[in-house]
Amino acid sequence: MKLYLELIILLPLLGGISNALLGGRLFSRRSSEFVACAVIWGSCAAALTAAYSYRSPEVVEIATWLSDFDFKAPLTLYLDPLSLSLCLMITFVCGLIHLYAVGYMRDDHCYVRFFALLNLFVAAMLTLVLAENLPLLYLGWEGVGFCSYALIGFWYSDPKNATAGRKAFIVTRIGDIGLGIAIVWMFELFGTESITRLNQMGNLLPVGIVTALGLLMLLAAMGKSAQVPLMVWLPDAMAGPTPVSAQIHAATMVTAGVYLLMRMFPLIGSSTTVSAAIAITGALTAFYGATCAVAQRDLKRILAFSTISQIGYMMLGVGSGAITAATFHLLVHAFFKALLFLGAGCVITTLHHEQDIFRMGGLRHKLPGTYWPFLAGALCLAGLPLTGGFFSKDGILSAVWRTGGMLYGGLYLVGLMTAFITAVYTMRMLLVVFGGPSTPLSHQAVDGADLTENKDKRMVSGVGPLPRIMEWPLIPLALLGLGGGLLNLPEYLGGGLLHSFLAPLTGHEPTLPHATELLLQGSAAIVALAGTATAWLRYGGQRRSLRLSEAQQPARGLQAFLREGWRVDQLYDLLFVRPYVRLATLLWQRVDEGCIDDNLDRTSTQLGRFGNMLGGLGQGRVSLSLTGMAIAAALMIAWLAWMTA
Amino acid sequence: MNTSLLLTSLVFLPLAGGFLLLFMGGRAQTAKITALAIALLEAALACSTWFCQGAIPSAGAPAGFFLYEDFPWIEQLGIRYILGMDGISLLLVILATVVTVIAMLVSWRSITEKITLHYLLLLAMESGIIGVFLSLDLFLFYLFWELMLIPMFFLIGIWGHGRNIYSAVKFFLYTLVGSLLMLLAIIALYLIHGAQSGMYSFSLAALLGTHFSPATGLWLYAAFLLAFAVKFPIVPLHTWLPDAHTDAPTAGSVILAGLLLKTGAYGLIRFGYPLFPEAARTLTPLLIGLAVTGIIYASWIAFAQKDMKRLVAYSSVGHMGFVALGIAVWTPVALSGALLQMLNHGLTTTALFALVGMLDERAHTRQIEDYGGLWGKIPLFSVFFVLFAMASAGLPGLNNFVGEFLVLTGSFKAAHLATILAFIGVILPLVYTVRLIQELIFQKERRTLPLSDLTLREMSVLAFLALCDIYIGMHPAPLLDILKQPVALLTGGVP
Repeated sequence: MKLYLELIILLPLLGGISNALLGGRLFSRRSSEFVACAVIWGSCAAALTAAYSYRSPEVVEIATWLSDFDFKAPLTLYLDPLSLSLCLMITFVCGLIHLYAVGYMRDDHCYVRFFALLNLFVAAMLTLVLAENLPLLYLGWEGVGFCSYALIGFWYSDPKNATAGRKAFIVTRIGDIGLGIAIVWMFELFGTESITRLNQMGNLLPVGIVTALGLLMLLAAMGKSAQVPLMVWLPDAMAGPTPVSAQIHAATMVTAGVYLLMRMFPLIGSSTTVSAAIAITGALTAFYGATCAVAQRDLKRILAFSTISQIGYMMLGVGSGAITAATFHLLVHAFFKALLFLGAGCVITTLHHEQDIFRMGGLRHKLPGTYWPFLAGALCLAGLPLTGGFFSKDGILSAVWRTGGMLYGGLYLVGLMTAFITAVYTMRMLLVVFGGPSTPLSHQAVDGADLTENKDKRMVSGVGPLPRIMEWPLIPLALLGLGGGLLNLPEYLGGGLLHSFLAPLTGHEPTLPHATELLLQGSAAIVALAGTATAWLRYGGQRRSLRLSEAQQPARGLQAFLREGWRVDQLYDLLFVRPYVRLATLLWQRVDEGCIDDNLDRTSTQLGRFGNMLGGLGQGRVSLSLTGMAIAAALMIAWLAWMTA
Repeated sequence: MNTSLLLTSLVFLPLAGGFLLLFMGGRAQTAKITALAIALLEAALACSTWFCQGAIPSAGAPAGFFLYEDFPWIEQLGIRYILGMDGISLLLVILATVVTVIAMLVSWRSITEKITLHYLLLLAMESGIIGVFLSLDLFLFYLFWELMLIPMFFLIGIWGHGRNIYSAVKFFLYTLVGSLLMLLAIIALYLIHGAQSGMYSFSLAALLGTHFSPATGLWLYAAFLLAFAVKFPIVPLHTWLPDAHTDAPTAGSVILAGLLLKTGAYGLIRFGYPLFPEAARTLTPLLIGLAVTGIIYASWIAFAQKDMKRLVAYSSVGHMGFVALGIAVWTPVALSGALLQMLNHGLTTTALFALVGMLDERAHTRQIEDYGGLWGKIPLFSVFFVLFAMASAGLPGLNNFVGEFLVLTGSFKAAHLATILAFIGVILPLVYTVRLIQELIFQKERRTLPLSDLTLREMSVLAFLALCDIYIGMHPAPLLDILKQPVALLTGGVP
């Protein structure tokens, strides 16, 4: 088992390092691409072997890392059902995305940097998931943050991309303050950093401290998983290449916050305040993301807000104590959201980096190979009955319902309402992008007159058909998204695979009576269908062209408010960014140079004059007078010392 | 191996080598190569002491010191020549020799005037710094403390740029005022101890047992602290540093950041706290407060800088705040974290100053707004720049994280609020770092500048430092093990 676990992390790490060192020099382009993909699939094979030989949770110590007096944080990995399921998902989805990226980056001459970072990201992500102690988890946590930063700003010459990367790094790092404090605090409280041991100690503490620890970790999760109020970085992060958005900002890294809370749930879950805070954050974010997504017109931003919203659901699940349901949604969401991003990447590539959905159309016929998988992903996201997304979202809503009470009752309603909006924006996106007649848009693009702001520096060589390698990774993802429900069927259909697999971890999660369960699923289905119908009534058939002409007008009122993400960015700019920048200059010029330095300079000048006076002869020898000054001061100190002795 | 005079040769080899340079006044090239050879030999000698850790120290050596030399010097005054090496000195001496070699290599081409003198001063400074790290007699310590000041004064004054004379004098005065007070305190200590025990001595081991009234202890400690705090530098005594760094030549900045700042921290650890434990405890809240203020204040100011050398200088003040915090709380984990952080800061900031110097050498401007899009022009340089900038911002897996994290872990128990504030201080370096990376490395070229990528010499220096950064970041255990015993002896922790 030790070997498999080592391989899972080491392969992507070595792939990244060897590409970084040898790529472009010793490696040809093909071998760079081959190495990058092969290591991920090798890692996936190792994960599968580990899963095959998995019997019970295991702690494997690889090497020492930080070890100082009683503080110990070795390189120790922990394999349990939760980390194993995530490892399988990460290696598999990332493997597909790497293949896709080979096609997507085929014209970019910076492929070495791209694949090296993409591989390093996977290594860091797997470290985060498999870490057995919190400092090691933090290593992976910051490692993925760095790769995300470097990949968002991958096309660095555009200041917008570089700024987006910077924003993502800083905002997530603000959340990390919480994790950092929690880590050192837990060491003070328990004298250990081991996750397995910390999780056994929750009941030894007064509930107030558990609550504080939980809230600190929630802060970290807010940053990493783009939850309200730290969600502002994710929509901008779409400036990165699309495979990056799919891999980092949809399937894996952004769910790390949810993972952290699930990992530490045995410790922090004993505080009802923490649970409630997590659930409220989740519900609020789910609602926020969905409302913003409805008003977007950039295809990737729709998906970004949708990711924010869907992770909100996962948080809602964790806050209701439903670890299984949250994990389930995490996995299924990874499949269908990666699929949607990759599909969007196909669309965007075909249209010469056009991302405005109102300039697209008729792609159903032009890109059938993209359309059908994309449709499958959209059905999952909208939560239409029998898709994986339906079952996983319903699992969370049922858990919220099951928790009961005023608060959770309200949250259930918010969740249901969000499900409705989700269906609306998903179908809006689908109908506008793929529906309608084949517009002359692509011709516009060919003319080179395209007005997109998101054009990057890649050389695009004609419309050309999509490379096959960009279309076929969509198929397994579509199948997994649609059939994902089989992973965890509801009780009345024979019970869930995932449920029993995670049982040793989550204990016995209560289930609802079959009738209630069916009723809840029925209402979820009705809501999703209603949302779909609403979208159809607005964007279906002939009405689509009407909306297209409406979209020529600039957005106003509520629509503009939602499109700008409730104007949170402007608010933060006013409240934090500008004061920070202003104060930095102020502190420097007024306080540091103007006050401290200036006064010290003046004091020394005065003392120098005083020294001159004492010198009396007016020879003006600076060195003499300054020495005199120093000696005088020294004598004073010495005198005081003697007096008090 | 006969280790009887190993420490003496460590201290005086560079000075003797510098003496040799005097005879090569005209032949600059020969002098340069000789100086480098001496520095390399010195580094090899320093590294060889690594293997002396198991050596049986001579009689009379204090616990923890595996190399120890003790000779009478000026017997009438009880002044002895005592050198000793424990784990702390070992690491700092190795750092000193390595940084000196690097300082020589990075200024290999940029110094065109008075070349021999430049290298002579670097060697003399190396002797002074190593002397500071090894002396265990306060008189001897003071001598070396002043010795290292003089070459730096000339380095800034002769080869500096901008307002270099102002900066050199400022640097000199600040440190001189501090250290004169320390000299008086040393003499006072000597007299008090002599009056108490009847035995007049400057030896640290002898002075450790001195008793003071609380007020006397406080005054004497304050004088020591002032001298060390100026070097450290602790806010608000830091304002000499941005000027000195900005106007110093690259080698000067490298030595200043890499080594001179460490002597302040070292003095506090070796002399300040052990000699005046009660006074130190009384002033701990002050020191913690100033350390945390420094972390946040300097990192914040760094963000506003337009001159990149000044930015690195302010970042240096912020990073040393973590060292100050680790020393102030004086717990085993925090102290070893602070010591490791001294080493890390020495490596990372050295690299950053070297990188900035390389840009300045090529394009003759240090204004951030003149650069842009370096990744497309000089990719190798950019890779190293991003790596060291990330190390400096505390990315886990690289060295600075280990030190900072241990400091924070160790200080949390002692000072909750300060540690929480320091955690906020952890992200501020990231803010100015990513801004610097964006404006320098990313975006588009803003001015056409004559930039060429790294030469082999520059690359080997940076690659060496990068390997050190990664190694310490991933496997700090050997270094922490070396520090364990001395730190345990100092703090009373259990190793």
